Amino acid sequence: MDGVLIPTLVSGLLLGSLYALMASGLSLVWSTLGVFNFAHGALMTLGAYFAWTVSEQLGWGLGAGFVAGIAAAVVGGVLIELLLVRPFYGNRAMLLVTVMTTLAASTIIERSISIIWGPRLKQLPRVIEGQVSIFGAPISSHEAMIILLAPVVLAALWWYTSKTRSGRSLRAVGQNQDSAALVGIDVPRTFSLAFGLSAALAGLTGILLGSIRFVTPGLGADPLTNAMIVVIFGGLGSLGATAGAAYVIGMLEALLILWLGLYWTPSVVFLALIMILIFRPNGLFGRAS
Amino acid sequence: MSTLLTVRGLQAGYGGVPVLRGIDIYLDTGEAIGLFGPNGHGKTTLLRVISGLLRPTAGSVTFDGSDISHAKPSAIVAAGLVHAQQGNTMFSDMGVEETLQLAAFTPRARDGWKDRLTEVHTLFPRLAERRKQLARTLSGGERQMLSIGCALMCAPRLLILDEPTLGLSPRLKGELRDAIGIIAAKGVPLVVVEQDVEFLLALTNRLYLVEQGEVGHEIDRAHAPNHQEIMNMYFGEQAH
Repeated sequence: MDGVLIPTLVSGLLLGSLYALMASGLSLVWSTLGVFNFAHGALMTLGAYFAWTVSEQLGWGLGAGFVAGIAAAVVGGVLIELLLVRPFYGNRAMLLVTVMTTLAASTIIERSISIIWGPRLKQLPRVIEGQVSIFGAPISSHEAMIILLAPVVLAALWWYTSKTRSGRSLRAVGQNQDSAALVGIDVPRTFSLAFGLSAALAGLTGILLGSIRFVTPGLGADPLTNAMIVVIFGGLGSLGATAGAAYVIGMLEALLILWLGLYWTPSVVFLALIMILIFRPNGLFGRAS
Repeated sequence: MSTLLTVRGLQAGYGGVPVLRGIDIYLDTGEAIGLFGPNGHGKTTLLRVISGLLRPTAGSVTFDGSDISHAKPSAIVAAGLVHAQQGNTMFSDMGVEETLQLAAFTPRARDGWKDRLTEVHTLFPRLAERRKQLARTLSGGERQMLSIGCALMCAPRLLILDEPTLGLSPRLKGELRDAIGIIAAKGVPLVVVEQDVEFLLALTNRLYLVEQGEVGHEIDRAHAPNHQEIMNMYFGEQAH
């Protein structure tokens, strides 16, 4: 057992890191606008394909690929906010309406990607080649880099939202739109900012994921469900809670795959979520209201 | 003396139901005015239209010579017209000091924000004591202080206060009224909504009675009515 447990925990850590990056983007939009962006996964895919085109097809290198992929996702995210979310501000059923409009965006982006890039699998190169060993478990250096990068990105995001003027304005708008407007914060512009920043995270995560797995039109949509579970599990709110929940879910998933196999793991993750919500209605790390 | 704020023929409402039916008020530079009148007759709605949170259906609001009837709230604050809302908790999960710092948001408000923070702390020492505390853990009076403090951090050229002492104990009411008196004495033009007409008469030059979405009376401090006359304005000249 010992020989399997540590590699499993390491792969749980990797999963957790990817979930943390995805879920922090989702949670940023949720906590600012009260909207779930179901196109978040499609934006990840968009980022991965643009990165592939610039880095591999045009041969401009992976660095340029990262920039192009993240930029494409940001443009996509801001357009979704502008065209599919903004018209419904103030609508009483805004949450439900935007579930539909962002799902629509997700489908449109995925199908467009299929048409433009075709059905053949693509692979993004790794940032670092070679292997390292964590507590005796062999892991590619690239994956180890993702494990190290995730906390750095999360810390930067925390610093931005708690210490900078524009980051604080995101939290202010999320907590009280009228009061934010009355100290001079442009609320609609802040909504765009939240979507853009969240999309940048989506693009980054998509590129990282695309260099571990194959780049397919469904690249981002598959892990999106779990990222949403992470956000709800964490208690729909603070960045710290979302990140904590991401690692818990990542570990849980890795261990369940080891114990139960791939087939039953998604069902059991959902059951765990339901149990948690029965006993802790505000999520694992949520504050009782 | 020039006119800083002019509201002319202002009409507005919610979902097609009219609340304001043509309001006319003005405020000269360096002046303080008061609004009073029964609840639900349009005072708060009027303030929401002036600060851009609600669009008027007719009429105009002019601030410092430019028409702001259809300007964004953020642009109105940037121009210096600042509105402290009634019973406002500001940002529930944000600390007191962080909130005050954030309130100096517009480019105009960023200059000298540290001096204004010191002024706010002098005016409301309690906010200095509660620096790290989250807004949702503050008492009603402290929330009101934070709300006014934030408005001051915006570097107001005109400050609108909506029932700043609503629901407070007599002691806290007194404390806040003293603070508002100090703000007025510094020469910040004020529009204050209050139910206590005696307080308004002591603070402001002129009062407007807002009822049924219109200005019912305008009262000049020089010709201040007595208590009985004010009661008559509220409840009608005689019983029907």
